[in-house]
Formats: sequence, C-alpha cells, structure tokens
Amino acid sequence: MEGASAKGDSMEELKGLRISSLDSDSEEDAAVVEENRKAVDVEEEDDEDEDEDLEPVMLGFLEKPEHPWSLLRQSFPSKAGGAPAWLDPVNLPTGRHCVCDICGKPLRFVLQVYAPITEKESAYHRTLFVFMCPKMSCLLRDQHEQWKHKPEQPSRSVKVFRCQVPLSNPFYSSEHSKNDGTDRPSSPGAVLCDRCGTWKGDKLCGRCKKVHYCSERHQRKDWKSVHKYECRQVDNSLQLSNAGSILTKKLWPEYEIVDEDEGEFGAKVTDDSQNNAMSLVSRGKADDSMDSIIDGFKMDIDKRTFAIFEERRSRAPDQVLRYCRSSTAKPLWPMFSGRLPKADIPSCKHCGGRMIFEFQILSTLLYYFGVDNGRDSLDWATIVVYTCESSCDASVAYKEEFVWVQLY
Amino acid sequence: MQVFNLQLPSLIRREEEEKWVPVTKLGRLVKEGKIRSLEQIYLHSLPIKEYQIIDTLVGPGVLKDEVMKISPVQKQTRAGLRTRFKAFVVGGGNGHVGLGVKCSKEVATAIRGAIILAKLSVIPVRRGYWGNKIGLPHTVPCKVTGKCGSVTVRMVPAPRGAGIVAARVPKKVLQFAGIEDVFTSSRGSTKTLGNFVKATFDCLLKTYGFLTPDFWKDTRFTKSPFQEYTDLLGKPTKALILEDVERTEA
Repeated sequence: MEGASAKGDSMEELKGLRISSLDSDSEEDAAVVEENRKAVDVEEEDDEDEDEDLEPVMLGFLEKPEHPWSLLRQSFPSKAGGAPAWLDPVNLPTGRHCVCDICGKPLRFVLQVYAPITEKESAYHRTLFVFMCPKMSCLLRDQHEQWKHKPEQPSRSVKVFRCQVPLSNPFYSSEHSKNDGTDRPSSPGAVLCDRCGTWKGDKLCGRCKKVHYCSERHQRKDWKSVHKYECRQVDNSLQLSNAGSILTKKLWPEYEIVDEDEGEFGAKVTDDSQNNAMSLVSRGKADDSMDSIIDGFKMDIDKRTFAIFEERRSRAPDQVLRYCRSSTAKPLWPMFSGRLPKADIPSCKHCGGRMIFEFQILSTLLYYFGVDNGRDSLDWATIVVYTCESSCDASVAYKEEFVWVQLY
Repeated sequence: MQVFNLQLPSLIRREEEEKWVPVTKLGRLVKEGKIRSLEQIYLHSLPIKEYQIIDTLVGPGVLKDEVMKISPVQKQTRAGLRTRFKAFVVGGGNGHVGLGVKCSKEVATAIRGAIILAKLSVIPVRRGYWGNKIGLPHTVPCKVTGKCGSVTVRMVPAPRGAGIVAARVPKKVLQFAGIEDVFTSSRGSTKTLGNFVKATFDCLLKTYGFLTPDFWKDTRFTKSPFQEYTDLLGKPTKALILEDVERTEA
C-alpha cells in the first residue's frame, strides 16, 4: 500500500495521482474518508467548472464619493461605511433586527449594494444592506450559530436586509434621476437615532421629547455623556442643538462602491501562480502514518484553495465585493474548510423558495475601514450573502436574508 | 441633509465648511500641499493655530474623539447663578493624541470648541518595546512621569499582553494614544478629572522629550518650511478674495 511506505518522494507521487484513488488505500475511520470523499466530489466539481465558461462576475471597488450628494438615498447609491442610505426611509427595521443577537448592542453598518432586478416590476429599486457587530468575540460566537441546521430563531451577529420598491412608490419620483445634485426624495424619511445615525430613532427622551434614540443602550450612553446637561436647558431656552450629534459617531469610514466587470481585468500570467500553488502544497511532512498524510493533504487543500483564490483575486487586488446573482453562481472561497456546501443553503423564510448566491465581501474591506491588526480585532476570510431566488415580496419592508461568514 | 441654493438649481454649492481660508503662514503652506505630514511641523516646533491644518494633514476619519466629561461650573452674579458647561474632549488615532478643554454657555458649543482645541493640541506619542524588538512598538519607551496640579501620573513600560493597567480616565487617553501595554501609577487628587487627564497628557508629551541613545547622533538641520517656501508665502492672497466676491454676486 502506498500509504504505508510513504517517504518524502512518494509525497510527490501522491500529488500526481488523481485524488479519488487515495480513498481505496486508506485505513482510516469512515469519517475522515467521508470528508475526503465529499471534498473530492466538490473539488472535482470546481475543477470542471473552471474549465467551462464562468459566470460574469462584477467586482466592487471602494472610492471616495464623487460628489457630496452621491451617497444620499435619492441617488440610489452602493456604499460602504458611514450611515446607511435607507431605500425605504419609513419602514426601517426595528427591535430585534437592529441588534447583535449575541451581545445586544446595535449593529454597525457595513455596506449596501444597489442591485435592482430588471425583470421584476416590484424590484425596480432593490438594495441589500449588510450590518455586523464590530466585536470579534461576537463573530466567533456567530460561527457556532450559523453552523446550526434550521434553527428556529437564529441568533446572528451579521445580518443582511433586502429592500425593494417598484418604480412608482411614495418615496422617490418616477422620473429618471438627473444625477446632478438636484434630485430630491418625494418625502422626508423617518427620524434616525441621534447617537448612531443608523437605525430608526423611534424612542424619545422622556423629558424633553426632542432627542431620538434607536435603543435603550444608546439613550443611556447619550444621557451619561451629554444629554444630562442639555435636557435641563430645554426647559429654560427653546433651542436645543443636540450636542450628541456633534461627536464623531462610531461608524466606519464612508466610501462609494464602484463596480467593474471582472472580464475587464485579464488573467495574469499563470505560470508563476501555479508554481506558487505547487510550492505551497508540496511542503509535506515525511511520515510513515497515513494520518499525517491525510492531515497534510487536508492542509494542502486549504493552501491550494487559497492559492486559487489569490490567483483569481490578483487580477484586481483592490476588489472588495464579488457580485454574481445567478442560480449556478458559486462564491470564490478563500479557504476549503468552513465553506457552505450547496446542499445546505437554507430556503427563503418569507416565501419558502430557493436561495441563491448573490454576492460576497472580501477581507480587503477591513483595510479600507482602518481596522487594526490586534489580537481581538475584526477579521474574516469572506462574508457570503444568499438571497431569495425570486426576490419575494413580503409584508415587511426589510427582509432578512441568509449570510455565511468564513473565518481564517 | 444639505441645503442647496434653490435659486440656482444647476449650480452645486460647496458647503461653507469646505471653504477654509488660511490665516497663518503654516495654514497656507498646508493648504497648498507643501507640507505633507504633521511630523514636518513637529520637527521645527511650529505652533499650530488653525485646526483645519490637522484635518488636512491627518485626513478625515482617522482622528476619533470622545467626551471625557461635561461638568457644569457656576459663578455667582447679582442676578443669580450663571452656569456654564466645561467639556473635556480627548481625541486621537495613529500615534497621536489631543486634549481640549472648553467652557461655554451651551453644551454643544462647549463640545465643538473642545474638539477644535483638541485638534490644535495634537502631539506625537513615542512608543517603544519592553523587551524583544519584535513586531511594532507597543509600550512606552521608558519610565516617564507627568504632573498637573497635585496629580502625578507615572507610566512604566509593560510586556506585551499586559494591556493598559490604569484608571478609567488615563486608560481612555492611552487608548487614543495607541499604546497597547503600560503600567501606571498615580498620586495626588486624581478625582479632579481636569488635572488627572492633563497629567497623563503631559506624560505622553514627555515621551518624545526623553533623550535616549538613539538620539545621540548629531542632528542634520533642515530648512524651516517658512524659509524654504518664502517666495510662495510672499505672494499675496488677494486673488482668492476677488473670486469669492464674484461668486456671491452671480
């Protein structure tokens, strides 16, 4: 048996072999073989796909907004950081949807993608909003939650909302936007929280009834720092310039997302990258037991997947977003372990229909957000968003979609 | 929400905040882009009198600020008690800290003023290593102490993973400074927040004032930016004013 006599050079032999032949020689317990077999199948699928014509992928890049009005909601922007430009400004998510289910703090806005569906009338304007809790500890706990199959009440720290409105709607005019700064929304939106500027400010200060908050947490913080002194002043003088809103809000820096087709960026010379991939993979341990070879192989799959990911990404290294809305589209996984198998994508909780991959966020976003490299700072490999295939209309304006986070 | 000039919908008016007309020589140099980093200003010990200098050099979104405390202070007058609000704002990011204290009749004005003063007082913080020089500097380079009023704050280098071992008030300042690990010790009436925070600020100020063997080498003096760009500064700024007048008439 090849495995039993494995030395340094037979590792090379193994690499040359087709992956499926490894299974016949293994003396491992079923679980490991199963996983490898499963891995084999998926990997084979991937290989086949790469040979065929790929789905056209739109890449998202971050840039400073062109004009001061580019990121306002009437321009239907795609943006990252700052405060969200809500599509439906009135029926904003409230209550449990706004907070991290693990720590209870209100979620922070990550990015929004304006992705209308031309075939569907009710989705003439359609935007997907991504929110997450900035704490890494919540994200680690969130991993446990997302691996649960069909939980009744998922408690996630990353949430995605989809909002769509038809062409004729009470919020924006049906005419084409002039895109010169003179567009106006048809009606003012709901008041936002004075502390975060992200969520709906439906709670008021009990005394002065002038300051709005999204949650008790924000109200308490604002009271402690600023409002305690200001609230009193309202009794004496009629004006109240809210001091809390002067302070820099805890938001990530704001950018506009600009999209380009991936095809615009030609594939780089593949020789070097293949050498890279091979050099990453062949660093195996010369050991007699099959265990270490399997382990080494598992590690190699991770490295190989990462090499493929890096090669694809190197065509446009600044990319932050990969958008491809199609039933056959697959996300580009940076790591092999921690992927979501296609069979495990849940069904839409509003209409029960199928969910398909829509877009994924890469970790390059963290660089643009200025997240530091500490031990406990936020980090992910990729965040993948799956949405309802039929983009169903439900009673609630902002429908929650499924999001999968892969960590390194 | 921005308010556009409704009489001229086609013209896009820039917000007033963006129109910074520098008043000082340093301001003019920064606006022109001749000075690229704060460190050039620190090198020549030039006083910074306009807060927009810091905004342009450091870039928006890098400096975070936080209100440490708002205390109402009162003065007795014939007509009764006159209350004003004193705001302490600490800001920082990327190895710099600033502290601003402002007193005003309204809370919002006090905070705004304190933010401006904090920007004006931005100082660089020197960080060093406790032991092995692996990775980026994480702690104070040496034992330093700062004093304000009766409060003295002493900072002692700490190994990685120690975290900021300090009271709530100096911890905030040190977090903004970008120091990851430090041991502190304080003395005096630390409950006077004003003095406590000023003492830690003074301590951080001294980190670059401490002579260590790295600084033994002879300094190679460079020209002060005022000397270097003297002809640019000599040019009159009248052209700018005329431009503004034309805009408002149209």
